[in-house]
Amino acid sequence: MAKMTLRLWILIISLVLALFMISPTFKDGITIKNIEKDSKAFDSGLRSGMIIEEINSQKINSLEDYSKVSLIFLNDSSEKRISILTDKDSFIFLDSNISSITAGKLQKSNIKTGLDLSGGARALVKPVNGTLTESEMSDLVEITNQRLNVFGLTDLTVRSSKDLEGNNFMLVEVAGASPRDLEELVGKQGNFEANIGNKTVFVGGDKDITHVFRDASQSAVYPAESLGDGTYISRFSFTITLSPEAAQRHADITNLIPLDPSSGGQYLLENLTLVLDGEIVDELRISSGLKGQVTTQISIQGSGTGTTPDLALSDARAQMHKLQTLLLTGSIPYQLEIVKLDTISPSLGEQFTKSLITLGLFVFLAVSIVIFVRYKKIKITLAVILTMFSEAFITLGIAALLRWNLDAASIAGIIAGIGTGVNDQIIIIDESRSKDGSGLKEKIKKALFIIFGAFFTIVAAMLPLFWAGAGLLRGFAFTTIIGITVGILITRPAFADIIKKIGEQ
Amino acid sequence: MEQHTNQENKKHWYDKNYKKLLVIPVVLLIICISYLMYFYSQNGDIIYKDPSLSGGTTITLRTESDAKNLELSLKKSLEDVYVRTISDISTGKQIAVLIDSSEKPEVLEPLIEEITGQKLTDENSSIEFSGPSLGNNFYRQLIIAVIISFVLMSLVIFFLFRTLIPSVAVIFAALSDIIMAIAVVDFFGFRLSAAGIAAFLMLIGYSVDTDILLTTRVLKKRGEPVNSRIYGAFKTGMFMTLTGLIAVIPAFLIVTGLPDSFRQIFLILAIGLSADILNTWLTNASIIKWYAVHKKLD
Repeated sequence: MAKMTLRLWILIISLVLALFMISPTFKDGITIKNIEKDSKAFDSGLRSGMIIEEINSQKINSLEDYSKVSLIFLNDSSEKRISILTDKDSFIFLDSNISSITAGKLQKSNIKTGLDLSGGARALVKPVNGTLTESEMSDLVEITNQRLNVFGLTDLTVRSSKDLEGNNFMLVEVAGASPRDLEELVGKQGNFEANIGNKTVFVGGDKDITHVFRDASQSAVYPAESLGDGTYISRFSFTITLSPEAAQRHADITNLIPLDPSSGGQYLLENLTLVLDGEIVDELRISSGLKGQVTTQISIQGSGTGTTPDLALSDARAQMHKLQTLLLTGSIPYQLEIVKLDTISPSLGEQFTKSLITLGLFVFLAVSIVIFVRYKKIKITLAVILTMFSEAFITLGIAALLRWNLDAASIAGIIAGIGTGVNDQIIIIDESRSKDGSGLKEKIKKALFIIFGAFFTIVAAMLPLFWAGAGLLRGFAFTTIIGITVGILITRPAFADIIKKIGEQ
Repeated sequence: MEQHTNQENKKHWYDKNYKKLLVIPVVLLIICISYLMYFYSQNGDIIYKDPSLSGGTTITLRTESDAKNLELSLKKSLEDVYVRTISDISTGKQIAVLIDSSEKPEVLEPLIEEITGQKLTDENSSIEFSGPSLGNNFYRQLIIAVIISFVLMSLVIFFLFRTLIPSVAVIFAALSDIIMAIAVVDFFGFRLSAAGIAAFLMLIGYSVDTDILLTTRVLKKRGEPVNSRIYGAFKTGMFMTLTGLIAVIPAFLIVTGLPDSFRQIFLILAIGLSADILNTWLTNASIIKWYAVHKKLD
């Protein structure tokens, strides 16, 4: 066994650290993404992040298993004993169902993949008129984040992004949301007004609206009715609580409105009009009993349509959910435009991921064969394979550490990085075997000059990608630069030592 | 012994002909530039852009519907629409189709649903939309990025060699790589995405390593004739480039069903690296040999 040099130790330590960063698991199960506070499951000690392995002795290997069990519970509303076995401990509680737990796929490692590989939606949003200042942008990011959270999206990133020309964008990425939701939630200003005549009674947001009821007792979707022309309509209603000021405004305004004689004095002459971003959501008659009353509880109504009763019902449900979200979170003071909207199917993404992994293996294989054919030395070939693998592995480790989302372009960057690595190794091998008079040390020094030259040209060439195109191609530049840096600092020095050892033997 | 004389002859031949060899890439470069000028006059731009750069929609649909038929049917209602297939090469089975158009998703979706009889859902399809202004904006910025990248690379080269002619030779070779790669991409009618243009930045950084190798060997290695320095560099450099090309091949011949952005990056690198063989070993080598003869580096 040859003596281990410092550089080899650095390589080994880096590999161990990378393994630790990636921390792959081979467990089956699902993770708890979110758990409602004050729920019985929460009180029993279950927490988000735990891995569910069994529920009532039934093995849970996938999300499908989980939804099956969850559905069985939902079908029977009686309280029952639920026992959940997790990776940490076993928890038992009494509840009718497990809907307080939001489950997610178990992450097999800390490596995060980009939207094009994992599926999800991405929107790039820009104010319609001009640009926003830093603080306006951070307000926008905050409101949007809140809105999407209230809507119930958990796996999301919202950030501002600047491009080469100084335009600022807001980038919203959601794992697994349907496109429609994102478009409406992100692109809409969400300017909600309730008007009587030309006077505004209250607007969306927590200044006028102190509470929006979302539970079954005070929010409902009604069975669909046929409109006769092949479409169906389903109505919804839910209650909100107004702030005292808004309630007083309601009293003052209604006080001045006369009764409508054609309704026999049952209603007021003017209606309450609900307007969202300039469009009328619904018009409600105001019963005479409310005239001049300080009312804090108001019923908001609307409807959804569809070509079948079921579609109308689900549309109504979606509309209600959206309206509730907008009422809770208020409006964004700028008009927005969605300039890019991508929705990637998770199953296509899965296919892409599989193809990329297969390709990675083929590239390894092809390069190893070529190296062996050229040098006909198994030791050199193994050394090259080891360095290629180390470089890829350490790069992935760093990506996992930085929680970098690896998209397809990033994977191309990793492979290209390995390619540069192989080139450098070829240079080292050939320099060290060249027959000029200088010593091995001198030769390797010359090789390092070429390698560092190539390194700096790639870094310089890739840098502009960090800013161009709203930074959407940042991953490509990032993984390439990380990959070749790992090469230069960790694997290449170790490889040079290995070659020296092989040369000495 | 015979091999030795052979090599002697080769050296002799190279000494006589290196300037003539320079003619080949220069002629090719002129052809490429003329083609690009013609292309520009026809299309108003130097490349074909896909919807991520020109604005429009790309829909990837998991379907067994025939791509050709789909394209023909769509062409009845839309002017510019392109359909390609993504298939699994081991089974030859079609995995999905890729539909490009400058239309908005709202226009494209119902048409596709009608023709294929498949409802587009989150599960079976991906939809990517870029507004026209954003596409233009991306395109303009990526072009600026390519220029900045080129300038930064040139600065690094000047810093490394600190002599005018050898540095200019390297930079000229890199420029030729880019121009030839664009001409080939245009000639085959590939429509570039944002990722495809980003690949040019990588090409700028990646293609100069053989030039650096060549220049370093010629300028810094003493005690060996210039010709054998060039030949030594050629053996190493060609092997580097060939390894790179072989690594790229599986992406086109063996593994399919790869994301389009990924394929574009590999395609540009493959074309660029092929052009680089010519530009390093004919263009750059001839110039550096000329320089070495002039400076009597032998």
